[in-house]
Amino acid sequence: MFVFERLSRYLITAGGLGTIVAVSLVLVFLVWVVVPLFLPAKSEERPPVAAAGSWAKAAPEAIGSDDHLLVGWAYHADGTVDSFRLDTGEALASRRVFDGPAPTAFSLSARDQEGLFGFADGTLRFAKVGVTGRSVSPDGLPEPIRQLAVGEHATHDGGVVAHAAEGQFRMTALDVKAEEPVAVDPPSRILLVDFSHHGDEARFAAVTEDGRLVLETAREQPNMLTGEITRTYSGGEIRLPQLKTGPPPRYVKISGVGDSTYLIWADGRTVRVDTRDPTAPQVAEVLDVVPEGGGTVTAVAFLIGRTTMVVGDSSGNVRGWFCIKPEDAGTRDGANFTMAHELEPGKGAVTAVATSQRSRLLAAAYADGSARLFQMTTENTVAELGTDAGTPLQCLAMAPKDDGIIGTNGKRVFVWRVNAPHADITLASLFLPVWYEGYTKPETSWQSSSGTDAFEAKLGLWPLVFGTIKATFYSMLFGAPLALLAALFTSEFLSGKTKSRVKPVIETMASLPSVVLGFLAAIVIAHYVEDIVPEILSSFVTLPFALLLGANLWQALPGQGRRGALRAWRIVFLFVMSILGVWLGFEVGPWVQDWLFAGDIKLWLDGQRGTGTGAWMFLLVPMSALIVGVAMALFVNPAVRRISRDWDAGKMARVELGKFVAGFVAVIVLAYLLSSTLNWFGWDPRGTFVSTYVQRNALIVGFVMGFAIIPIIYTISEDALSGVPEHLRAASLASGATQWQTAIRIIIPTALSGIFSALMIGFGRAVGETMIVLMAAGNTPVTKWNVFEGFRTLSANIAVEMPEAVQQSTHYRTLYLAALVLFALTFLVNTVAEAVRLRVRKRAYEL
Amino acid sequence: MTPLFAHGETMVWLTGGAFALCVLMIVGLVILVVRFGAGTFWPGPVVRIETLDGKVCMGELTREETYHPEQSLLEGVAQEDKAAVWKRIQERGGRDARHLFRTGNFDLEGTHFQWVADYAVKSESRPDWAMVIERLAWGRFYGIPKAFLVDKKPVAETPAEVWAEYERRHGEARDRYEERRRLEKDEIGDISRRQEEGRLELKRVEMESGKDSPEWRRRKEEFDALSASLGEESKEVRRSINELNRENARYGVVLTTAKGVEKTIPLADIVRAYPANRLGFGEKLGVYFSRWGEYLWDEPREANSEGGVFPAIFGTVAMTLIMAILVVPFGVLAALYLREYAKAGTIVSIVRIAINNLAGVPSIVFGVFGLGFFCYAIGGGIDGLFYKERLPNPTFGTGGLLWASFTLALLTLPVVIVATEEALAAVPRSMREGSFACGASQWQTIRRIVLPRAMPGIMTGTILAIARGAGEVAPLMLVGAVKLAPELPIDGVFPYVHAQRSFMHLGFHIYDLAFQSQNSEAAKPMVFTTTLLLIGIILTLNVVAVMVRTRLRRRFLVSQM
Repeated sequence: MFVFERLSRYLITAGGLGTIVAVSLVLVFLVWVVVPLFLPAKSEERPPVAAAGSWAKAAPEAIGSDDHLLVGWAYHADGTVDSFRLDTGEALASRRVFDGPAPTAFSLSARDQEGLFGFADGTLRFAKVGVTGRSVSPDGLPEPIRQLAVGEHATHDGGVVAHAAEGQFRMTALDVKAEEPVAVDPPSRILLVDFSHHGDEARFAAVTEDGRLVLETAREQPNMLTGEITRTYSGGEIRLPQLKTGPPPRYVKISGVGDSTYLIWADGRTVRVDTRDPTAPQVAEVLDVVPEGGGTVTAVAFLIGRTTMVVGDSSGNVRGWFCIKPEDAGTRDGANFTMAHELEPGKGAVTAVATSQRSRLLAAAYADGSARLFQMTTENTVAELGTDAGTPLQCLAMAPKDDGIIGTNGKRVFVWRVNAPHADITLASLFLPVWYEGYTKPETSWQSSSGTDAFEAKLGLWPLVFGTIKATFYSMLFGAPLALLAALFTSEFLSGKTKSRVKPVIETMASLPSVVLGFLAAIVIAHYVEDIVPEILSSFVTLPFALLLGANLWQALPGQGRRGALRAWRIVFLFVMSILGVWLGFEVGPWVQDWLFAGDIKLWLDGQRGTGTGAWMFLLVPMSALIVGVAMALFVNPAVRRISRDWDAGKMARVELGKFVAGFVAVIVLAYLLSSTLNWFGWDPRGTFVSTYVQRNALIVGFVMGFAIIPIIYTISEDALSGVPEHLRAASLASGATQWQTAIRIIIPTALSGIFSALMIGFGRAVGETMIVLMAAGNTPVTKWNVFEGFRTLSANIAVEMPEAVQQSTHYRTLYLAALVLFALTFLVNTVAEAVRLRVRKRAYEL
Repeated sequence: MTPLFAHGETMVWLTGGAFALCVLMIVGLVILVVRFGAGTFWPGPVVRIETLDGKVCMGELTREETYHPEQSLLEGVAQEDKAAVWKRIQERGGRDARHLFRTGNFDLEGTHFQWVADYAVKSESRPDWAMVIERLAWGRFYGIPKAFLVDKKPVAETPAEVWAEYERRHGEARDRYEERRRLEKDEIGDISRRQEEGRLELKRVEMESGKDSPEWRRRKEEFDALSASLGEESKEVRRSINELNRENARYGVVLTTAKGVEKTIPLADIVRAYPANRLGFGEKLGVYFSRWGEYLWDEPREANSEGGVFPAIFGTVAMTLIMAILVVPFGVLAALYLREYAKAGTIVSIVRIAINNLAGVPSIVFGVFGLGFFCYAIGGGIDGLFYKERLPNPTFGTGGLLWASFTLALLTLPVVIVATEEALAAVPRSMREGSFACGASQWQTIRRIVLPRAMPGIMTGTILAIARGAGEVAPLMLVGAVKLAPELPIDGVFPYVHAQRSFMHLGFHIYDLAFQSQNSEAAKPMVFTTTLLLIGIILTLNVVAVMVRTRLRRRFLVSQM
């Protein structure tokens, strides 16, 4: 017995506290997934190893590594490539890339594991340079290697063999293979070369000693049987005055699609050549990439995609430049090479720059021997890579998987393991404008995936937050007033019997699945509304007009004394007038379209015809209604009151009717006059809150989501209004106040906090609603207030992208952040609403 | 006397107008859904239309609209008539009506629907023997029967004879088709399942004791023997399938389309056929209910746009039931804690805040949590421990019925708590005190006095939770609802309930059909029907909940007296 008692107590308490656990679990889990986004990157330096023997001659020109940071390679000025173990420094193999004289120029791409070399005799040759891994059969391996445990590796036959998985061995070794030469015509010593692969084309540029910039396009056709690649060449050249006199440029760089070729001199002078047509290159612009003057360019590299150029200079600056296409570019190809990013300056000149093969990370080494890891787009310093070398690193490379950086000062090789999976996310990049590659200015943007590798995910949450705000704003604008007014009417002016019948109907609508509303919104309503926009807009005026007219006519009805008899019919007339109001809107719609919207509202919204008068009317009709209402109350009503002492109710009502009609005319005339005036000044609001019509838009969402939140706001605020103690109502009525006065002065103030709570909960629902916006909002992440355009909300974005997001990726975690934002927002709103509700309850007890 | 404006009649009318608008919108929505949802399956007449340019089409009218035709795009009118037609349209104010016909015959025409503008209609008729044929593939077919083939030889040549022959033979052919499908699904499915189990078992042994170990060798032999015997079995089943196919291939119906093209449709491919223009009211009713029957009890065809939604109904029910089993005990415990055990204080306030937040947090957030926590963290953990041999294919480590139920249980917890609390509060204090006075302990009081009286309230909460769970879609998109689930989550294969399987859901079905469907015009009526079904289920549940609650209140009032 006692045991049962205890057990039940524990179980029930556990059940109660379980709710706290559940909520905290949700919160903690969301935070737990999100936090790694903001953790600093980890970097760890492996003990440096002494450089391989053959390096004694000089520091290498370029270095690289394999996928697993086992084997490194280095290219030397004399045309040799050697490989070495990155963990011990042991030399593995050394090969000359070409027989014959050493190249005079080279360009190496770690991503393609390919190089282009230029020679004194004016020839150019492609060659494969790098280390590659391949599976090897254990049978051919010596016994000690076969005995390696999984994960271990050992030197074998000029390479490294690793036991990758049970029974699977991988050999990583130097891979060098030269291809046939192609000559420039007429032959001249090659000073600089660069190349870029684009589709099945390789574009390359070479600067020759006789002052030419030669451009070639090699079309590559792999032979299906042998796998060999045949290249067919075509191209052109340009002779530049800058190349004739003075020192030759230090760098030549060709962009990813080959549309621009850059010549950069040591002092920062840069000539950008428009090479969209490689047979007819033309100078596009001349500028200086070291704008301060005095400095020299010390390192140049392209980020992935070869669009953003990283320029390091002698003052320790590392900057990102790319072509943007502003309206007023003033160049022949409409582009401007612009400095978009400036990274935290280092101490001493930049000695080397290395860019990632898969992201927008880059590493820079400085004259004081230090090095840093940056993220270009966010200009974020991801990690400081310290060395005790004292001498600067002359070569730097990033590991293919972004998990390491290797560098050398010619004597020793340094290896850092880095782990920066979310370097492209900072708090600022999530919510503030970011200058993405190719954009003319910093912008907030959400674009999480695309087809190409070089694509940069743009994870700016602001457009989604904006979409959420827009959806909530328009749906609250529509739903909240309707729900509150309807609740007031139900609680104060509806007879008990009707109330008990109607209220459950509206309440039941709260359980209507939002997928149903979303479907109707997107498939039925959006389709239908598209054809009747002017009619809908007119209804916003004619419906209140019809209701007010109904009220005034009702007052003027004879026999108001027998009000009790008529009263039961008021609700019927209300419905009749509402329907009449909407009908009237549909009747005057086409006429309004001709009057304000130049006969076709869609063309008018596009700005193709008509004037801004109609657009101002959107704002000014409600405003002038307010003005006229206030003016009536201030000036006309007192006057009427003075002279109306001895009028009977019927006459009074007729005067009221006249006043209403006059007032209505005044509202329209005033609004039109003001609108025309504003339009006359040349102000046209089209393009702001009204603009191009899109089928799935904020108007539809506002309408349908408003519909979805009406039952909640209605139910809670009606409960609050009905909950006002009866004795207050009775006292007010007994003191001679009318029903309306009681409602406005007594009931509403008492129930105000309940109404507030209702609004808050309705707001919370609108913020998180998913299916309606997913189906009816078009899901384009634009940040425009235009009522007639769609948007993408946080919730819809999660629903669309979460199923495809790769677990633990930046994208996945950012979506979690979006969920966390929603959670936090609704948590706040609900807690405030609950606090207010508790206060109401307390106050209700006091009354 | 009171001044007129003090009555605020105008303001009252504005509030009343808002109320009227709300009610009108709700009524309008319900009428819209019922009108379109219930009308989907009604067989309409088949109309044959000849247009001015001499083309013909035949089909069922789907909808009509008025529009502004453009002079350059006068379709269906011969070149020389264009000017006259255009003049006629202009006389009518530049507007004209057009009708959308479901003309079917997708395999011949490449389209399911066709717009016909009124101005282009030359003549309209309802051919006596126009048939509507619902097929297994390619959507509907409209045509006039020409012959009934047995072994490629016509045995009937007039429409009436063909129809009679069809009615005589169709049942058998369909039976054979059903039998074939059963063989394919059950027998072959069973064979491949056993094969897969053997393979996984072998792999498990390989992972445990390594390849080439004696244990593994033994298993390998067993597996090879099993494979061989299963191969035999499967050959056997395929033989009977082939036999059925052969028999069915003997029969075919030849139809002539409106354009005069002849097409032979194998008898077994016909799901339903009827001469639309010859049907009396009773027969139409028959077709109508037969379609409803197919809709409720059959599996979907043609990317869900035809056939039934049985798996979706089944999935929805299974998911909400598991959810209810999870949420009700937990919710009742929490409510008991709040009402019977906890003393007012900070903890109770925190619990209330927690409940309110569970109620207010957007459902998609629960989906995100469910995906990360239940599917990936817990499910991934279970896979790592118990289903290693299946990796990297997830078993529990992905969305499924169980995780969806867990997620929705969390989502609907506040509904149960609030309803139970209300019911507990309604149990009069005097009864508890009476029980204590008789010497009962607290648990005994709860067990014998409080809970039985609160039962209707708990029922209400459960029903409301089920209604909420049945209508929620956003989180399910992340934790396991799919477009088309190959297998039901509960079937006759041990262990009978496969909670890890993904499932179909009515709400998700609506979303998917309305947005992802290729033939969206044909899918639209189905979406309306599913919408009607879903709303029907949810509103019924709500009404039942309200009735239970009313009964509870009445009982409470009686006991007070």
